[in-house]
Amino acid sequence: MPFRVKVRNAESGSTVDMELEQENTVEEIIEGAAGYWEKDAGAYVIRRGKKLLRGQQTVSEAGIQNNDELELIPDPEGGFSGPPY
Amino acid sequence: MTAIRAGEGDEDRWERSRRIKWLDMEKVRSSSFLVVGAGALGNEVVKDLVLSGARNITLVDMDRVVRSNLNRCVFFREDDSAARRLKAEVVAERARELDPDVDIRTVVGRVEDLPEGSWGKHSMVLGCLDNVAARLHVNSFTYFNMVPYIDGGTSGHAGRVQVILPPSTPCLQCGLNRSHYRILEQRNSCTGTEMTYFQPKMAADITTTAMVAAVQVREALKVLSGRSDSIISNVLHFNGLHNTWEELELSRDPLCPLHRVDLG
Repeated sequence: MPFRVKVRNAESGSTVDMELEQENTVEEIIEGAAGYWEKDAGAYVIRRGKKLLRGQQTVSEAGIQNNDELELIPDPEGGFSGPPY
Repeated sequence: MTAIRAGEGDEDRWERSRRIKWLDMEKVRSSSFLVVGAGALGNEVVKDLVLSGARNITLVDMDRVVRSNLNRCVFFREDDSAARRLKAEVVAERARELDPDVDIRTVVGRVEDLPEGSWGKHSMVLGCLDNVAARLHVNSFTYFNMVPYIDGGTSGHAGRVQVILPPSTPCLQCGLNRSHYRILEQRNSCTGTEMTYFQPKMAADITTTAMVAAVQVREALKVLSGRSDSIISNVLHFNGLHNTWEELELSRDPLCPLHRVDLG
């Protein structure tokens, strides 16, 4: 039975409703939201409240419920400043 | 009868540090720190470590200074970029100017080239890297050797600090998903003239870098001083545009190979 959650873009504050099935994975939510906002290739994570959700978890395993609000957060991987190998 | 002398405290380099009651200065002075990366974060982390009393630092980096590093790297100068000096050597030289007592050794090369047996000799590893593959390498060797690993990452005004304390906390790999593996080998650098292929440049500023590095070093000091009650429990996310700091929980991935080793 599909249900809906709201996904918030942590960078812009905008939101999008997303329809989910229990067997969808967190990675699919990340890819769907990043694609919708045309994010640059990069690392992202999803939080639900104070919890970071692991990518391989299903919606069911992550405890995501109807009308939950999730947030897409960039996961910064920079910090260095040199030319490539 | 012992007499005190007026102004005595002002002659002691560490007098103000010792006023921080929880800080174990002796532990900090006797610990060995491995700093991986001498770029923007590495500059700040080494500066903060040295000013905090660290005396034994090993710094790993294989790159040379370029001019566009100068907007955020406190130890680099125009002359260093003109001469294309090695970052690790410049940072070490300037760190010794901050405190002549610091013993800072440089390893010019990739972190992957460090001998396997060297990891366990350090009290603490601070990650100042720019790509997921190198982070995974550091994560594996620190976790296996039970060495605390404090990883920092920045992108524009966003930052992240993860404190990994083997075997109790989730590791860096536990938090990765397909979006990380897609950019596994991509270096999120912001400079470089020896480009042989297209590499996206990343926005970077000193304010975010300085804050992320400061949190990394403060957490390192807490770990060494036994302040387990106030250490970042998992991952701290910083958004400099919205002025938010969020400490987020990460659960251990039961399929993570490092924790499967724990389980025997």
